Amino acid sequence: MDHPPAIVRLTGVDKDYLLGKVVVPALRGIDLAIQPGEFTVIAGPSGSGKTTALNLIGCVDVATRGIVTVDGHDTAKLSERDLTKLRLERLGFIFQSFNLVGVLDAFQNVEFPLLLQRKLTKAERRERVMDLLQEVGIDQYAKHRPNELSGGQRQRVAIARALVTRPQIVLADEPTANLDSETGNAIVDLMEKLNDEGTTFLFSTHDPRVVDRAGRVVRLMDGRIVEDVTRRAVGASRIAQSA
Amino acid sequence: MGQLLLISLRNLFQHRRRTLLLGSAIAFVTMLLVLLSSLFNGMQDTMLRSATTLMTGHVNIGGFYKITAGSAAPVVTNYAKIEQIVRREIKGLDHVVVRGRGFGKVISDTTSLQGAINGIDITHEKGFRDVVQVRSGRLEDLAQPRTALIFESQAERLEVKVGDMLTLSSPTFRGVQNTVDVRIVAIGGDLGFMSNFMIFVNSEAIRDLYQLDVTTAGALHLYLKDPEQADTVAAKLRKVIQAEGYGVMDKVAQPFFHKFDTVKREDWVGQKIDITTWIDEMLFIRYTLQTLSVLIAILVTVLLVIIVIGVMNTLWMAVRERTREIGTLRAIGMQRGRILAMFVIETALLALGATLFGVLLATLLAAGVNAAEFVVPKGFQMFLMSDTLRLVVDVPTAVRSLVIISVITTLGSLEPAWRAARLQPVTAMHAN
Ligand SMILES: Nc1ncnc2c1ncn2[C@@H]1O[C@H](COP(=O)(O)OP(=O)(O)OP(=O)(O)O)[C@@H](O)[C@H]1O
Ligand SMILES: [Mg+2]
Repeated sequence: MDHPPAIVRLTGVDKDYLLGKVVVPALRGIDLAIQPGEFTVIAGPSGSGKTTALNLIGCVDVATRGIVTVDGHDTAKLSERDLTKLRLERLGFIFQSFNLVGVLDAFQNVEFPLLLQRKLTKAERRERVMDLLQEVGIDQYAKHRPNELSGGQRQRVAIARALVTRPQIVLADEPTANLDSETGNAIVDLMEKLNDEGTTFLFSTHDPRVVDRAGRVVRLMDGRIVEDVTRRAVGASRIAQSA
Repeated sequence: MGQLLLISLRNLFQHRRRTLLLGSAIAFVTMLLVLLSSLFNGMQDTMLRSATTLMTGHVNIGGFYKITAGSAAPVVTNYAKIEQIVRREIKGLDHVVVRGRGFGKVISDTTSLQGAINGIDITHEKGFRDVVQVRSGRLEDLAQPRTALIFESQAERLEVKVGDMLTLSSPTFRGVQNTVDVRIVAIGGDLGFMSNFMIFVNSEAIRDLYQLDVTTAGALHLYLKDPEQADTVAAKLRKVIQAEGYGVMDKVAQPFFHKFDTVKREDWVGQKIDITTWIDEMLFIRYTLQTLSVLIAILVTVLLVIIVIGVMNTLWMAVRERTREIGTLRAIGMQRGRILAMFVIETALLALGATLFGVLLATLLAAGVNAAEFVVPKGFQMFLMSDTLRLVVDVPTAVRSLVIISVITTLGSLEPAWRAARLQPVTAMHAN
């Protein structure tokens, strides 16, 4: 197969946490590459290392051993400043508890990364944000603050925020865990739709029903990859669904 | 930047109670600082203005004349020549007044008091009219020979009124007791401690009392366009007057009446000139003002420390509450510096708003106090040199207070803001 270069690559990655003097091994010998366009789930029981893996890929934590490259950069070699820039320019984050800025309305929350980037004009930002809000189906709530929105609506705002900079990959740690199953499903629908349109997703979940919808499943157990199956080709989720 | 401002402002509104509490404290301290500074400035102004008009010029040319080694008369002989030198050498001179200096008993029909007797030529006293509020009589009448101006509290003690006679009694510089009768032509409103011991008489009366000729004066008071130049002018005069052949005393930062004893002990005879500035002549006032300013500074410092602690505590709390938000912002790509800026801006906004409010309050309160013509207790009048409390909030004082308190308060936010900036982005991932 001639894959395009991986966006994310983990090679022989170990991660130990230190609890006082006790070393807690969280990841063991992880090899993983994520190609553009994937819709990949990291599955596994509680404590298996899902969050840890996503944190390493999200450049908010560093591996104890092994190499993590994101967009071709060895993250261990980047300064705090460059890591922050890498997150801003290349990665999108969706959080389990949505993590919106409470004092900003939906529009402003989504616009925020663009302001950090300082690349677009006000008009361009407005257009891009409104388009995205429409895309995630909450354009009529643009002026609402997070506490005026339901959990599902908040997560839609968060998804729009993650996508607004057109990142190479969107990372999400249990994006549906704080939602009821119906709303959770709708969120996965939305992510799927966005994936069809070209966004790469890597997210973790506990929920077997969500796992079932992934294009690729990476299953962790005690910090090791115990299963890595690709169920359908990249970008083919819709076709597979309708079949 | 715009977004940081917005977030900061909204967070301040979000935590209304906290903001109000801290804001009121900052506003209160600002108000206090502005009011105390105004009070202080007002006192300093009145003190300096009254004192420099009544007791001393910006620069004084006095002197001692010693007939024998053991005596000393506070006079300048042939003062006209010195005045000529002054007018020739000193640029930026506003005007010169000639004073007679004496000390003696002031006797009424019923009683007497001891006082500094000053001979003045009212027609040449430019500032006198602005400083002395005449309560009865006429200042102009001091131009007539053998007339006197006293102050209200003295009039009360001596049980006299305008038109009454007083007898001045003092030994002449030759040691003979002499007396002169003067008619009270004006009674002035009290001017703090100075009105306890100073009386003003027509300069002829003091010459008569001390049997001095017309070429002799007590001192020349020089008023400068820029009083700050007093030291420079004094130094220059010392040089040029010495060059003209006069004996000039070394610079000693003391009022002239402190120097009698020293001068009496020295073994020269004849005339020596002593040049002092208003700062030398008014040591007492300076100590009072200095003590007061130190007290104000201590008070405000203590309050500011409390406020800074309050700011730090509040921000630590805010940082703890907003840990996940901060982590999120870091995770989605906000640099540390901007997190720091976010908290500093929040505090700066609060500080600016609160100090502005404090200044406004102070201005209103000052206007109220002035309108009420609040009468200050007697003991306090002595320092205030005025019987009512007047607070003048001037723009430089207000701006200075505002800037000082805003800056210090904002500095207090640096440590908590720094803590926030150092939070790890991974904290964003922690579920609640
Ligand atoms: N900060 C930490 N300090 C110490 N140990 C940690 C820390 N974070 C995670 N661990 C440990 O590392 C292992 C992997 O944790 P991780 O959070 O990655 O699992 P997870 O798969 O995300 O679990 P869950 O499904 O409960 O979220 C666990 O044993 C956990 O106890
Ligand atoms: Mg987890």
